[in-house]
Amino acid sequence: MISYLLQDPAKPVHAMAEGVDQYGQLTKLASTFSHVDNLFYFTYVVCIFFFVLITGVLFYSVVKYRRKTFDQPAVSNRTHNTPLEVVWTVVPLIIVMVMFAWGWKGSLDMTVVPADARQYKALAKQWNWTFFYPNDAVPSSGELWLEVNKPAAFTLESSDVLHAFYMPSMRVKRDVVPGRFQTVWFQPTTEGEFHLFCAEYCGKDHSQMYAKVHVVSADVYRTRPWDTWDDKNPKKGGENLYKSLCASCHTINGTKLTGPTWKDLWGKQEQVVEAGQIKTVTVDEAYVIESIRKPDQKKVVGFEKANMTAFDDKVIDEKRVKGIIEYMKSLSNAGSEKK
Amino acid sequence: MTTNAPAMGVATGSHDTVKKNYLEISKGFWSWAGTLDHKRIGIMYLIGVSLALLAGGVFAMLVRLHLWKSTGVLFDNATYNQIFTLHGVFMVFIFIIPAIPGSLGNMVLPLMLGAKDVALPRLNLLSFYLWLSGTCLALYAIVAGGFDTGWTFYAPYSIYTNQAVVSVGLGIFLLGFSSIFTGLNFIVTTHKLRAPGLTWFRMPLFVWAIYATAILQVLATPVLGITVLLVAFERLYHIGIFDPRLGGDPVLFEHFFWFYSHPAVYIMVLPAFGIISDLISVHSRKPLFGYKLIAFSSIAIAMISFLVWGHHMFTSGQSSYAMFAFSFLTFFVGIPTAIKEFSWVATVWKGSIALNSPMLYTLSFLIIFAIGGLTGVILGALNVDIHLHDTYFVVAHFHYVMMGSIALAFFAGVHHWWPKMFGVMYSEFYAKIACALIFVGFNATFIPQFIMGSRGMPRRYATYVPEFEGFHQASTIGALVIGTGVALMVGNLVLSIFTGKKAMQNEWGGVTLEWLSPTPPPLENFYEQPIVTTEVYDYTTLDLRTTQTPCS
Ligand code: HEC
Ligand SMILES: [Cu+2]
Ligand SMILES: [Cu+2]
Repeated sequence: MISYLLQDPAKPVHAMAEGVDQYGQLTKLASTFSHVDNLFYFTYVVCIFFFVLITGVLFYSVVKYRRKTFDQPAVSNRTHNTPLEVVWTVVPLIIVMVMFAWGWKGSLDMTVVPADARQYKALAKQWNWTFFYPNDAVPSSGELWLEVNKPAAFTLESSDVLHAFYMPSMRVKRDVVPGRFQTVWFQPTTEGEFHLFCAEYCGKDHSQMYAKVHVVSADVYRTRPWDTWDDKNPKKGGENLYKSLCASCHTINGTKLTGPTWKDLWGKQEQVVEAGQIKTVTVDEAYVIESIRKPDQKKVVGFEKANMTAFDDKVIDEKRVKGIIEYMKSLSNAGSEKK
Repeated sequence: MTTNAPAMGVATGSHDTVKKNYLEISKGFWSWAGTLDHKRIGIMYLIGVSLALLAGGVFAMLVRLHLWKSTGVLFDNATYNQIFTLHGVFMVFIFIIPAIPGSLGNMVLPLMLGAKDVALPRLNLLSFYLWLSGTCLALYAIVAGGFDTGWTFYAPYSIYTNQAVVSVGLGIFLLGFSSIFTGLNFIVTTHKLRAPGLTWFRMPLFVWAIYATAILQVLATPVLGITVLLVAFERLYHIGIFDPRLGGDPVLFEHFFWFYSHPAVYIMVLPAFGIISDLISVHSRKPLFGYKLIAFSSIAIAMISFLVWGHHMFTSGQSSYAMFAFSFLTFFVGIPTAIKEFSWVATVWKGSIALNSPMLYTLSFLIIFAIGGLTGVILGALNVDIHLHDTYFVVAHFHYVMMGSIALAFFAGVHHWWPKMFGVMYSEFYAKIACALIFVGFNATFIPQFIMGSRGMPRRYATYVPEFEGFHQASTIGALVIGTGVALMVGNLVLSIFTGKKAMQNEWGGVTLEWLSPTPPPLENFYEQPIVTTEVYDYTTLDLRTTQTPCS
């Protein structure tokens, strides 16, 4: 347990530029959903008003009507005051009905996707996010790029349990329900980096199911910054893939997370369980490919109970798998250099 | 309330020597373990739920300490998840739901009705043992690998996780039956065993509240029982009710779960309302403002609370019409609750206010509950809830209601009826200090959570983004203060049993029937059947000879 602290898990680094709004209560709004903030502060002020009223009367009474002698009776035994009771029923009723209508109107805005919205897909898995861009073969994991002032709509899919797509600065949240398609949309208004959290508890690494969202100008967006692949340097591409897709379970420094470390993995004689039988295999290209595509086929001894997410060729195609292998080679003594 | 029973004045004379009180009348393990006396069962519940509270509190402290740093301090993620789940399950199912009805309800309800016992004493004992078995199953589940689903058991995670979900599920099933039986018992008792002259509108509000709660317990809890059973079946036999891989629907689970668990919020909070109503009246020595309105609003809340469960699912993708109805009704149910709060404050107004420890807890309740209720209004608004749902804002909100209000009302009630239960008084000085510590610590813990939540800190996080570290640390310090306060409170109460001075028959100057029975009460509560001839909370009839009614 404690040792968990001492290791250096290659977890996503959360460097943020969000800040808070001028009242210091909410994250700074970065989308067009300002009605959320307006209603929030309206209710906030109403609440403070009633809170001050209630505690004020309470403190005043406690001081003023404090029992000073043993047999002191109450000043008044009145138990009714019809006008007062009508007022304190009707006034709050009117106020909450205003809040209700306002909130309802706002929530409708949040469900009606504008026609010019870009259609993305967010795939939630225990415990990472993968994003698919409209008419673009290259997905990205753990990071997302959006264009500023352009409405973005997401189809949300889960491949295992419930998750929730939550971006505080955009004021959006939507559960990701396995077996259903949900949508969520917003229009980012500020360039910068923003948090995307998983807000629905989804198991062990729920708190690390994080993605960094880059809202960039149209010019930057056009360069497809999510496509970091460079045919000249597959190892670098493999390292990037490792960081976004594999680092949550595999380390490169010898410590164990959910999965075995990659340090000195390449070329190693590995004990695995296949169909109930213990075997020894060499970690080579075929084995690594199988581990990525069908992780349940051969389970590493000591990790039989742990599960790895399978990655098909839509997420990691052949050349990228090669890139990962190049990167893996560099981590073992058999490989040439060390990263 | 006056009564024609002779022994109701200063309790001296032959009766005292002839009749032993319920604590002394018999001795030995079985005289407790097999007892049918509602008071002894109440004491057993009190001990049980208090231990559950302490266990839940230890888990809470572990959670808070772990979150001192954004990377987490004490545990790996999996262990953290188990700890917060244990905290939730212990506090909700094993502590709060049975706490007030089981301990104070059992203890006080028959006394307030002028009855000898509850209507079904054997069922009462069975309720207790079901509670105990349910608790044991939950404890067993810890040993058998733990469980990490959160107290909400959301499918399909609860179906896939390889942990002891089935045993906790069965535990909760048993706890549910315990709750149903308690509810049934109190309904029958209230209908059948009221003292002559004790009409419905002469009943103390604690009785009304327990009665409204009982209705909810009987009507809502079966749904929980069925739901956890379905989860267990799904895990064992893969039927395909909630598991999407088999064609099931995880959202259906949410509907089932909240169909129970929203009313359950009122199962927890109505008894607290009852305690507060009663205590405010006694310690302000003034009839309750708007008695009938409070009584009816309890019933109204009980009814409407069945129709608002969807407000826990505003982000789950339910239809816009459902959202419309659920949000509307949620705001609507706020009104009777607001009426209660206003009526309590109006009762204090122009009263004769004794600032003793039960009253301090009560006043703390009023302040904290105001915050808990008002922040609930913020959450009721649809678009705002979408931002705040499943963040620390919600965590803070429901802790203001569950811990800050319900647990404080429970503490208030325990301090208030302690002299009646045990015949001794604790140290008022330490009780007040404990109350102050809990109040301050509580706000220090949860105000930072409101701020974090509105800035987007999601709940159930073992690690978090570093910008929230300061708030988490403030919250942890607050929790340590609460812990100190609770330890002081428990120590003070327990010590009083051995060293406390003897309590008066009517320690606080109450006029409900429980104060007319000797302290501690005899086995059958009253030497003679009390008869009620006056209206409820009529302090003009208070016999000051039976009471000490300290001024502060
Ligand atoms: C959810 C956690 C998780 C993620 C994410 C993950 N893995 Fe794994 N991985 C595991 C576990 C657990 C095992 C061991 C069990 C098994 O063999 O299936 C494993 C085993 C492996 C092995 C075999 C290791 C050995 O010692 O023989 C390889 C190769 C591998 N993973 C590659 C990858 C690659 C490449 C990625 C990223 C594209 C990745 N994994 C992402 C959990 C994960
Ligand atoms: Cu999650
Ligand atoms: Cu609810």
